[in-house]
Amino acid sequence: MIDPITPSATAVRSPATAGGVDLTTVRTGLVAGSAETGVDFSTMLTQLSSRAAGVVRNAESVSIAGIQGTATVQQVVEAVMAAEHTLQGAIAIRDKVVAAYLELSRMQI
Amino acid sequence: MLDPLQATLRVGASGLEAQSRRLRVIAENMANAHSTGRTPGADPYARRVITFESQLDEAANANIVRVVSIEQPRTTFRVEHMPGHPAADANGYVRLPNVDLVVEAADMREANRSYEANLQAIRQAREMITMTLDLLRTT
Repeated sequence: MIDPITPSATAVRSPATAGGVDLTTVRTGLVAGSAETGVDFSTMLTQLSSRAAGVVRNAESVSIAGIQGTATVQQVVEAVMAAEHTLQGAIAIRDKVVAAYLELSRMQI
Repeated sequence: MLDPLQATLRVGASGLEAQSRRLRVIAENMANAHSTGRTPGADPYARRVITFESQLDEAANANIVRVVSIEQPRTTFRVEHMPGHPAADANGYVRLPNVDLVVEAADMREANRSYEANLQAIRQAREMITMTLDLLRTT
């Protein structure tokens, strides 16, 4: 999955820029990201949501196994927590994307 | 799984599972503290000890804990003079399990504390994940 955000995020996280965001690192990261952009935005979103759906489905099946007594309480909690985090992340990203589109639509022409 | 926080959840879950299996073994020992044999001179219940080892989890890329074995250590059985007991030998002595309830109680307390520690690690990792996701929400 190639998204232009990740390179800049790793640049922010890298230890060389501990005191603040090193602009040159961010710039090269952005250039590298845009150079290799081959996947469009909707494909990326589809991949993201299908992965999230897989995690949630797994949590459901483990929960059912837990009710049947074939999975331990720890396994159920672990799977449900993974689903919870994936869902929270997906919702947060979706909200950001929707907010960005709204921002675009409000632009003065 | 490259996310270290997700890996922390996985490691913590393995710790929870290991400690719950340890508690099961302790419960077995305590429940069978007076289980004798049925025939004269027969062996009574032998105390069991659980051992753990560290193992690299490929998916999480972290060291999880796993149960290696549940063994019976070679310690001598207690002997009590109880003539008439089905398991009494020719001199009236019955062999009793080598389970010391005080040792088991201390072991159980340790398993409980370890379980709590693993839960705390999971709770902490979960809180850190949520805190990081909150960055997306509030700004």
